[in-house]
Amino acid sequence: MAKPLWTGSLSFGLVNVPVVLFSATRDRDIHFQLLHAPDCSPIETRRVCATEERPVPWPEIARGYELENGEWVLLSDEDLRAAAPRQSRTIDIERFVEVGEIDPVYFDHSYLLVPPDEGAARAYSLLSETMGDSGRAALGRFVLRAKERLVCIRVRDGALTLTTMLFGDEVRSTEEIAEGIEGAAPTREQVDSAVAVIEELGVEFDPTLYRDEHRAHLKRIIKRKQQGKKIAVPVAAAIAEPQVTSAPDLMGALEESLARIRRATKKPKKAAPRARSHARSR
Amino acid sequence: MPRSLWNGTIAFGMVRVPVKLYSATESKAVRFRERHATDGAAIEHRRVCVEEGREVPYGETVKGFEVSSGSYVTLSKEEIATADGPGARMIEIEHFAGREEIDPVYYDRAYNLGPGKLGDESYLLLHAALKRSERVGIGRFVFHNKAHLVALRALEDVIALHTMRFADELVPVGDLEIPAPQRKPSKLEVAAAGSLVEQLSASFQPEDYEDTYRAALLELIERKARGETIDAPKPVVIAPEDDLLGALQASLERQGGRRPSRAKAKKTKKAPRAQASKPARSAR
Repeated sequence: MAKPLWTGSLSFGLVNVPVVLFSATRDRDIHFQLLHAPDCSPIETRRVCATEERPVPWPEIARGYELENGEWVLLSDEDLRAAAPRQSRTIDIERFVEVGEIDPVYFDHSYLLVPPDEGAARAYSLLSETMGDSGRAALGRFVLRAKERLVCIRVRDGALTLTTMLFGDEVRSTEEIAEGIEGAAPTREQVDSAVAVIEELGVEFDPTLYRDEHRAHLKRIIKRKQQGKKIAVPVAAAIAEPQVTSAPDLMGALEESLARIRRATKKPKKAAPRARSHARSR
Repeated sequence: MPRSLWNGTIAFGMVRVPVKLYSATESKAVRFRERHATDGAAIEHRRVCVEEGREVPYGETVKGFEVSSGSYVTLSKEEIATADGPGARMIEIEHFAGREEIDPVYYDRAYNLGPGKLGDESYLLLHAALKRSERVGIGRFVFHNKAHLVALRALEDVIALHTMRFADELVPVGDLEIPAPQRKPSKLEVAAAGSLVEQLSASFQPEDYEDTYRAALLELIERKARGETIDAPKPVVIAPEDDLLGALQASLERQGGRRPSRAKAKKTKKAPRAQASKPARSAR
């Protein structure tokens, strides 16, 4: 099993639940190694001390904070813990809220919480059982990697899942964008048709419906290249300019969308002709 | 106006909506740079050829995929970009789903969209339809040579875009070995824990939470700058609880029916950052 990213405890009232933290996501990306072009030998990134001109091993690297006068204060891991000793080891549950009440803009990264041993399993199962019944999420905070995280914890597939959240002042206002929007508001008829298109394409969210085809495509390109085949790179001029549906064409485009979707759903054997780009140009 | 990160088009049925992408978030964490612990000097990252042991300028580098140990297939930037396909600048909305059906574990980063050139009317139409239907559009988005599943939704007066994980990017919960308790929690314990959850329940108000560590860390930096020595923190010992029921009852007594007071007070008061919690209410 992977190495835990953090070890500590969840504190719920006066009950402490020892837990270890794992990432809830895994990296499936295709990674490239930087090579030296003439001989294809790997390139390493080395940390070099600017004054001594020598490579510096990882244990000699400190975190530096620049003061206004240009001087640097160096901090060790212990210093970071000393700023908030309790929060560095404990996730204090402050409140319980409905998950649906939290706007998704606040969600950051997700982790899984696991009891480290059998001794902790009882308190863990008490908390997961209680929360599973109430349908609520616990809100708390702790310090992970030199940053305080507001977190929401809930039960997912029997495991306590923790999602870090942004603080209110880390979410940008949408006002500036909204103020820059001009043009006429859509008519009632247009919105009715647009909502009808949405209803036609409505499903219950099923993440397994969507595969990362980009990743699969990149794998095929690597394979072709390995076989010595040439990869055709499209010339910039051949890439079509994206099209725009201008205001007078909106109603027509909506009606055509509805007609196409309905045709496609009536004859399920025939796939929707969505690959054809038939947008109205400006 | 902040600079846009990406320009492209949303395909909503046959309607094409040109859009610009902006970041919806900004980290307020205290920023550090790497320094050499022994002399405080700056640390430079240098690209060094392992064979020749010398620094290599970026122009002399190429990207390689390791097909077997030490053997690479090289690809140019343009070749890698061919994986983006012809639809790279297009986000096609494939389905519309209910927001509450998406587990938070899928969300990655949040962005806001603004209309692109000549796109104000189609943008306003999509916004109005998303808002009225209370649904989110699901599509795919290629950004920096990587595809993301995305959710598009009405957020206040703009359309927000959330990048999401593909299903296979999640760790299956079954892969974890969660130890089972020797003795299951008793009914009494579950009931007491349930009461504690009830007592601590409140509505979510983002403005109730402030980053307190940021201030504590900056204060510690100031003390260190003055030459004060920082004592190592005392180790925090966490002992697993044996008397769960006792701890729960003591918690309930301590809480003593006092509800989370701040949250309640905030409900009636018009908070200055109330706009931040508006989307939560409008989506209900």
